[in-house]
Amino acid sequence: MAETENIYTDPKNYVNREMSWLEFDYRILNEARDKSIPLFERLKFLSITASNLDEFFMVRVASLKDMVHAKYRKPDIAGLKPEEQLALIGEKTHDLVSLQYSTYNRSLLPTLKQQGLWVICEHEELSGPEADYVDRFFHENVYPVLTPMAVDSSRPFPLIRNKTLNIAALVQKKDGEEDLEFAMVQVPSGLPRIVELPNGPEGERRVILLEEIIERNIKELFLNYNIVTAHPFRIMRNADFSLDEEEAVDLLEEIQKQLKKRQWGEVIRLEVEEKVDKRLLKILKKELAVGAEDIYEINGPLDLTFLMKMYGMTGFDALKTPFYIPQQIPALMNEDDIFTNIRRGDILLHHPYQTFDPVVNLVRTAAKDPDVLAIKQTLYRVSGHSPIIAALAEAAENGKQVSVLVELKARFDEENNINWAKKLEKAGCHVIYGLVGLKTHCKITLVVRREEDGIRRYVHLGTGNYNDSTAKLYTDCGLMTCHPQIGEDATAVFNMLSGYSEPPTWNKLALAPLWLRSRCVKMIRREADLARAGKQGHIIAKMNSLCDKEIIATLYEASCAGVKIELIIRGICCLKAGVPGLSENITVHSIVGNFLEHARIFYFGNDGSPEVYMGSADWMPRNLDKRVEIMFPVEDAQLREQVVHILEVQLADNVKAHILQPDGTYEKIDKRGKVLVTAQETFCEEAIALAASHTEDQDIHNTRVFVPAEA
Amino acid sequence: MIRTFAAIDVGSFELELGIFEISNRNAIHSVDHVKHTIALGKDTYNEGRISYGLVEEMCEVLNDFVRIMKGYQITEYRAYATSAMREASNSQLVLEQIRVRTGIEVKIISNSEQRFISYKAIAAKDEEYQRILQRGTAIVDVGFGSMQASLFDKDALTSTQNLPLGVLRLREMVAKARISSEQEKTLVAELIDNELVTYRKMYLKEREVRSLIAIGEPVLTLFYRMGDGKKDQITQEEFRKFYQKLSSMTLDQKKDEFSVNGEYAAMLFPTATIYKRMMEITGAEILWVPGIRMVDGIAADYAEDKKLLKFNHNFSNDITAASRNMAKRYKCHMPHIQAVENAALLIFDSLKKYHGMKERERLILQIAADLHSCGKFVTLRDATDCAYNMIMATEIIGLSHLEREIVANVVKYHARNFRYNELKVEAQPYCDSRLANPENLTLLIAKLTAILRLANSMDRGHQNKLAGCKITLRDNQMIITTDYDGDVTLESLSIAEKSDFFEENFGIRPILKQKKRV
Repeated sequence: MAETENIYTDPKNYVNREMSWLEFDYRILNEARDKSIPLFERLKFLSITASNLDEFFMVRVASLKDMVHAKYRKPDIAGLKPEEQLALIGEKTHDLVSLQYSTYNRSLLPTLKQQGLWVICEHEELSGPEADYVDRFFHENVYPVLTPMAVDSSRPFPLIRNKTLNIAALVQKKDGEEDLEFAMVQVPSGLPRIVELPNGPEGERRVILLEEIIERNIKELFLNYNIVTAHPFRIMRNADFSLDEEEAVDLLEEIQKQLKKRQWGEVIRLEVEEKVDKRLLKILKKELAVGAEDIYEINGPLDLTFLMKMYGMTGFDALKTPFYIPQQIPALMNEDDIFTNIRRGDILLHHPYQTFDPVVNLVRTAAKDPDVLAIKQTLYRVSGHSPIIAALAEAAENGKQVSVLVELKARFDEENNINWAKKLEKAGCHVIYGLVGLKTHCKITLVVRREEDGIRRYVHLGTGNYNDSTAKLYTDCGLMTCHPQIGEDATAVFNMLSGYSEPPTWNKLALAPLWLRSRCVKMIRREADLARAGKQGHIIAKMNSLCDKEIIATLYEASCAGVKIELIIRGICCLKAGVPGLSENITVHSIVGNFLEHARIFYFGNDGSPEVYMGSADWMPRNLDKRVEIMFPVEDAQLREQVVHILEVQLADNVKAHILQPDGTYEKIDKRGKVLVTAQETFCEEAIALAASHTEDQDIHNTRVFVPAEA
Repeated sequence: MIRTFAAIDVGSFELELGIFEISNRNAIHSVDHVKHTIALGKDTYNEGRISYGLVEEMCEVLNDFVRIMKGYQITEYRAYATSAMREASNSQLVLEQIRVRTGIEVKIISNSEQRFISYKAIAAKDEEYQRILQRGTAIVDVGFGSMQASLFDKDALTSTQNLPLGVLRLREMVAKARISSEQEKTLVAELIDNELVTYRKMYLKEREVRSLIAIGEPVLTLFYRMGDGKKDQITQEEFRKFYQKLSSMTLDQKKDEFSVNGEYAAMLFPTATIYKRMMEITGAEILWVPGIRMVDGIAADYAEDKKLLKFNHNFSNDITAASRNMAKRYKCHMPHIQAVENAALLIFDSLKKYHGMKERERLILQIAADLHSCGKFVTLRDATDCAYNMIMATEIIGLSHLEREIVANVVKYHARNFRYNELKVEAQPYCDSRLANPENLTLLIAKLTAILRLANSMDRGHQNKLAGCKITLRDNQMIITTDYDGDVTLESLSIAEKSDFFEENFGIRPILKQKKRV
């Protein structure tokens, strides 16, 4: 018995999360390499692999480096010590980067050329008139904002800002034969990276990158010097900081301080051009104190995120996937206000296939409604000009009680968050700046309304942030309800977030970090018990990442008990699928599509009376133990079917889905002889059809019947 | 019409806010509820006063309560403080701080008022309450500072006792002794047994108790895991099993299992032990946990005051049953008691136009009549002084502290000279709107004393001679006419003796007349 228990928890049956994450970036890179995808979409995917990798370095690699410095030697889920992980990461990222650039150079650039877009890689390739234009452009637009810096005995090595693109040069005084000196200039981040050249030949557009223009004119910056060599470089610093919350009197101040500090972190990656001058590299290496394994010699332009800007170039519409317009929700396609509609029954929202407007509308309507007493909401990564923030401020000005929990610890977004949090406070909202030791990741809105028969609560629960911009790109689900038990729970959630004791019991919601983990484990075990009793055990779970050891061990155990487990996991998955004797009943699908898969949905067969939940939490230790998360049930039978349908279509996807193999690699499904299913496209079509059929139902020309309005 | 109402409980261990909707249809419905742990009792029980730090924290939390109340646009609230504040020497200062800094007026209520309020919340759960009362029942209200055991006789609550078995108090006591956790368990059990054995000997004899109603915050925490949060009653056997499991758990396990902090977890065992012992010594088969908190009681009390809620249960019956029970306990001569009570009420009713008093005063008079001779149990010489103290020491659920003090004074002065300037009342005249004229308590006590005196003299010979007498009023005279044809000299003399004081108060002179047989 002890032995079989061991196999579930044995580190060799787990995948290191960083390796699994890199696998995910590879899957995105695969999309960039997929010739069946519109060209400009491929640029976008390549750009995403680059920005993903940046974040990966700043957060994950940085924290592993910290562990090494701190002599922290605890092995991870797969039994690897921090330095072992770093070694593996180094190897795999170098491979990934070469694949990124071979994709760029060998596949994308030639195809772009075919389609009439020339990217001039070296300024030497410019034609005469083009060179003139570029030089003029430099003098008029670039030169005024540059700050050239030289290093000698009197001037120390300059501070190089995190993630900025710079040009380093070796220079030599014109009048003397003195030693080579180091000089550098930052490529200004305020100017567009891509500069389009005028007057190209017919049917051809030509662009050049800003750093090439600067490099071409660099002599203008160091007039008394000869330029020996000049090359772009870019560094990545350790950006992860830990907040000492117990001591921080004012969390806000602390974060502002940390933001300034962030520029000074240790250098953990140096990117330079492949053909860089060895003397130059030596100086950079020494001054930035960076090890050989952290240097990436790049065959092409540094920082591929400029490709996102290239995607945004006008024209080339034929090379992009047509823009999808989020559809209306039939339950809301009427004259009644949103409260009336929610009272008729729970409403399911599936973004971005369906519009996010109702969520904004709920807050907006509540802000103006004379019967609304209070609005409470958790906000995390909200867009700068969010209509929700405006509506909340308006509500407070209208005398509603508005409580907002603003999560300041959302990575890289702090500056943005602090601004609008202050704006809300000014308007009279009660703003809570996060909880000590916990991030608030749950997405919940509560509107308290005084109605004839007493107080009624309207609740929106979601899997994605209250961000109207990302709601157009991320696939998420939401539920609007006025079920009194969920309302009570929602009130309790906000009371807890305000620092009060937990309620005696929860009616419907399961919360992390206190209850969610055990609840999930319990439900997986229930399926295992069913399977052992000879009944059918079935779990379908969709999430972004799976890397919690207890959950994975429980899943292995359930698989061995005979439970059919179908996982749909976009990113990290530390579980091994389809391994005989361990996980042969587990499959893992991973979908990378135009929209970012983001919803978390959990289905449990429960012996014929299925339970479906949605929520904000992945099955990751940080979500289950270090964050406030909510998992909520979908109880309306019709809505539950719709949610199950979402899962089924995703499982049926054979175009965008990769399947995790027992050896840890991901492979696409063999499509031969199969009807092609692309889940995201299917959802788009369905949403359009649903909205259209509803419009038709109401169109007098179709029904040919006058319908008297109800009193 | 739905009213929203806020109840604030400034308890010994927690600050609690309940927001309620009160309507005729929904009855009382809780809409929001928050609590904040703050161990005021720890300060009071150890130091005798509440420290500045806690006042600071308390004001902060209460200010947040005000914010929540504003969110529901609350205009009506009641805030009550209990034992920790009651016993703190600096309570007046603390209350003033709270008033100035938060705008909240907190009232300190007496123990019996506190228990009565919770009791009303139970009675508001009408159906189950009536069902449980069919059989012998006791309410066991274990709080942080003390516990209250109340016994029912049929459907009337007849006695109530406060025992110093609060779980926070117990824990603080045990925490002082540096002992192992096993020893700690024994010590807790001994402390509890010590009190409960005496209680059993004095009060439980011959009482049949089939069910216990458990209220108070500590049992709620215990019970939500015990009963899976679904059912609210468990049997003795189930409780025993649960108790065994609990006593084998470590503090950490308790924290996890009950999802509470360490402070709370340490109080689970004392709570369970009290209920286990109570079940054993009463022989109760069922423990009913109706999920009542102080704030529910405050809401029920408010609803009754505002006539938004009518109880099926008659609380006045409880009060008279309890006072009769007390009279019996102190071996009063019950036929005499009955005679005095009848006479007193007869006088009261006949003089309605002259004295201006109402139902509540009538009830107070009735109780004073029932208890007028209980002091004789202790001593025959200064019986009324004794009676005063006995009444002040005996809680009667349903009677406010002030009312009980009035009863005690009426009993005290019924057999001694009444000095108008000497009389002092301890209780703060509180929102007790049930009294017709709470401002002038001296006159109220004088009037009731005059009636009781007269009523007592009407049965001076303890023979119930004047049974069935009639009272008529004519020309400033109150003529008491009796059919009794024996000798009434004693009664006549006695009445004459009391008539000056009676006239002084009502402007009417009582005269006894015997009806001559034709």
